[in-house]
Amino acid sequence: MGGSTTFGESEPPAAVEERLRNILSASGGAAAWEWHMGGKRILGDSGFATLYGIAPEEALSGISPGRFFAIIHPQDRDRMRLAMGGMLRGSEVLSKQFRIISPDGTVRWLQARARAHNAQRSGQGPEQSDRFSGVLLDITEQKRLEEQLRIAQTAGGVGTFEHVDGFGTATVSGQFCALLGMHAATDLPVRTINALVCAGDPPLIDLAARPELGLATHAELRIMRADTQEIRWLMRRGEYIRDADTSGVRFSGVIYDITDAKRVESQLRVLNETLELRVEERTRERDRIWRVSQDLLGVSDAHGVWMSINPAWTTLLGWAESEIIGNTSEWLAHEEDREATRLEVARLAAGHKTLKFENRLRRRDGGYCWLSWTAVPEDGMLYSVARDISAEKEAAAALAKTQEQLRQSHKMEAVGQLTGGIAHDFNNLLTGISGSLEMLQARLAQRRLQDADRYIAAAQSASKRAAALTHRLLAFSRRQTLEPKSTDVNRLVASMDELVRRTMGPPVQVEVVTAVGLWTTLVDPNQLENALLNLCINARDAMPDGGRLIIETANRWLEEHAAHQRELPAGPYVTLSVTDNGTGMSPSVAAKAFDPFFTTKPIGQGTGLGLSMIYGFARQSGGQVRIYSEVGLGTTICLYLPRHLGSADTLDDGSSAREAPRLGKGETILVVDDEPEIRVLVAEMLEDLGYAAIEASDGRDALVVLQSTVPIDLLITDVGLTGGLNGRQVADAGRALRPELKVLFMTGYAENAVLSQGHLEPGMHVLTKPFSLDALANRVQLLVNGRPT
Amino acid sequence: MRTAAKLSELERDALTELVNIGVSRAASSLRKMVGREVLLSVPAIEIVSQREAVTLIGEREEGELIAVRQDLSGAFTGRALLIFPQATSLELVRAVVGEELSAAEAAAMEEEALAETGNIILNGCLGTMANMLRQTLTMTLPEVFHGKGGGFFLPDGDPEPDGLVLFLYINFSVLGRDIRGYIAMLLDMPSLLTLKLLVQQFIDSVMSDDADAV
Repeated sequence: MGGSTTFGESEPPAAVEERLRNILSASGGAAAWEWHMGGKRILGDSGFATLYGIAPEEALSGISPGRFFAIIHPQDRDRMRLAMGGMLRGSEVLSKQFRIISPDGTVRWLQARARAHNAQRSGQGPEQSDRFSGVLLDITEQKRLEEQLRIAQTAGGVGTFEHVDGFGTATVSGQFCALLGMHAATDLPVRTINALVCAGDPPLIDLAARPELGLATHAELRIMRADTQEIRWLMRRGEYIRDADTSGVRFSGVIYDITDAKRVESQLRVLNETLELRVEERTRERDRIWRVSQDLLGVSDAHGVWMSINPAWTTLLGWAESEIIGNTSEWLAHEEDREATRLEVARLAAGHKTLKFENRLRRRDGGYCWLSWTAVPEDGMLYSVARDISAEKEAAAALAKTQEQLRQSHKMEAVGQLTGGIAHDFNNLLTGISGSLEMLQARLAQRRLQDADRYIAAAQSASKRAAALTHRLLAFSRRQTLEPKSTDVNRLVASMDELVRRTMGPPVQVEVVTAVGLWTTLVDPNQLENALLNLCINARDAMPDGGRLIIETANRWLEEHAAHQRELPAGPYVTLSVTDNGTGMSPSVAAKAFDPFFTTKPIGQGTGLGLSMIYGFARQSGGQVRIYSEVGLGTTICLYLPRHLGSADTLDDGSSAREAPRLGKGETILVVDDEPEIRVLVAEMLEDLGYAAIEASDGRDALVVLQSTVPIDLLITDVGLTGGLNGRQVADAGRALRPELKVLFMTGYAENAVLSQGHLEPGMHVLTKPFSLDALANRVQLLVNGRPT
Repeated sequence: MRTAAKLSELERDALTELVNIGVSRAASSLRKMVGREVLLSVPAIEIVSQREAVTLIGEREEGELIAVRQDLSGAFTGRALLIFPQATSLELVRAVVGEELSAAEAAAMEEEALAETGNIILNGCLGTMANMLRQTLTMTLPEVFHGKGGGFFLPDGDPEPDGLVLFLYINFSVLGRDIRGYIAMLLDMPSLLTLKLLVQQFIDSVMSDDADAV
């Protein structure tokens, strides 16, 4: 193709160029073109040549339709062929947008406009065009802007409109229609648009407005969507500007949906309006609780100064609100609770919570109210609730009192049992003593002195047994006077070995297992010997047909848990256990084993004081006793004694003098006792022993002697004295006057309080009644002369 | 059946061009009749249901409408409507019959002039298409209706209209005045299928145009 000179038949090229130039200048377009139907050629101007990348001369002479369509984008080509086909078949007007691919490869948007030219305007025959001509405008930039605007409108949900004053329709965007729920259109009647606006709201486009140029307006309005009849809020913003085409006023604006914002706004408004109401309501609820609460509610500052309290305070305590506010509750707190209360407030102020803190606050009537507090600190304030627990406290006190009474009645019952048992034993012994004395009297009257010794011995034996019995009783009541010494239990056991074996007899095989490096313990060794012997005798009685007896010592360290189980403080202990393989005990029997007078032995074989006595001794020594027993297998009884850090004292062998040699060298001894028989007896005994005795019947008499210049080598005094001063006070007063004064207390039982919990100052000693002449002589000798006989 | 009547994008473009050829013929006839420059063009078409047509016209035209109606038989069976806003109809009449008539005279011949104009346009449009199919088309005499739009598409109180409407936007340009209107064609299903056949023929014809030209 491309024969540039073949076209133009009747027309010279210059004429064609002239016409094209005119078209171009008239339309202001970028390129002019003309389609000659008969020759199937498309002629163009220089702009057209540039678009097609051909020489202007070639464009002027025309290109083929195939060439014309070749640069059109493939996606638009068929559409454009249809449009051109329409023109070739009788359409008169063409207006199409399409893309071309330029010779340089870029894609450009073009707008084609064309009109058919009627060959014969004169009008003979059917009208038939022989050509159509038009312009090609490059609208790439416009398209891009349109596309950007469309994206912006769609993304932002913004619809645009333009209305020129005097026109019934407005130019609108697709998004505009979508916001109103209408089908997409480019023009809509203003009345149609405004008809969607809810009554009472401003119109979207105000036809009656006569605004100044440049005025910007906005309005919020509700519309009923055309499709769903849904009510939506729209914002309309617009400006009145000069319209270039009509020189009228153009109202150009946008709309966008503000329903959500409106809804939030309205919710906010409702919230705001009701906030006060709701606060009031809630405050009223809180107030009601505040007022009706029976518990004390209060708010205080960090120092516990009350800022606000509820009426329960007045109801419960009787104080007016004004008396409480502005002060801490310290002035109301019970003296004993004040410090604890102060500490608790400080704890609260430091950020801790208070749970179940109890104290007493004074009521107006002078009584006290027990309160249980719960409190929390917040924002520098303390919020407290207190519950009246006075009734609970009273109930607890009543319960404790009842329990105490119950215990007391149990005790009385025990004392009754004890008294009965003792009376029985004592009567036996007294019968022995008085019988012997009667026999002695009779023999003396008959001058049959050869039998006198026998009766004296019998009486002495009975009174010794009576003394032992009272001693055991005292041990049980834990009022025996212990003389604890640092004791090596292994050595003690060894010294008992022979005695134990003899007591057990041949059917019982005795094994002694002593721990190497056994700690020392602080106990009264005599009592420990008694305890051991008792345990062995019990064991023997549990093995009527013989068996094995094991005496064992060990060091034990009791951890917290084990110690707690044994009701002991944690720490090191020495254990002494006695195990037999005898009949054993059922759990119920074992549980009662330490009860006083509980015995498994037939009546007459024992008082049942043995184990309870051991228990009393162990507890008084800071230790414990435990039983491990199974029926048919045997029993282990284990004594726990606290470790003592110190070396063992030399064991006093306790042997006593059989005779009463004269020991004294005329040393002076002051004897104080309100019982004249005992005082006289002791004084006579002392004089027999070679001492000088001064007697005093009470504390005052004794003090008179002590205040005198008479030298006193030893003070022997009963602890329980009538007349105001007890023995201990006499001794203390004596010590004040004569610091080196040696003291020997005589006592039927050890009054713990008087004798400092059983422990005495150096130079003070105790002699337990009843005592033998030998024992007295021994102790006096030891004290006065500084050595035993 | 309904989907069978659906048009592809290319078919829609082709149908638009077909209609444009038709209205160009009509414009040519009008030009001869009134001796003035008359241009007609159809920028867009839509195929919608009768109900949608009611909504569309209702949204776009708020005021009173005037319609020229003709029933069809032959190549197409159905009904064709040319619709204008009432407010612009007198302007159209003036443009067609001339400025020299007084307002009273123009008003007196309004209906007659509209009926004739409508006849030329609808006949040009549909007749051209029937010609292309080499089929005959019979059209009843034009009738002029006034109404609110919706009624034009829901004739005879049909409660469940399910027919399709070929909805065309038409621009008149007479002596520099631009007047817009609508052409609506209520076609039965066989007619729509015939239309589709015509469209395909047109496409085939255009696509073979430049086989010899390239």
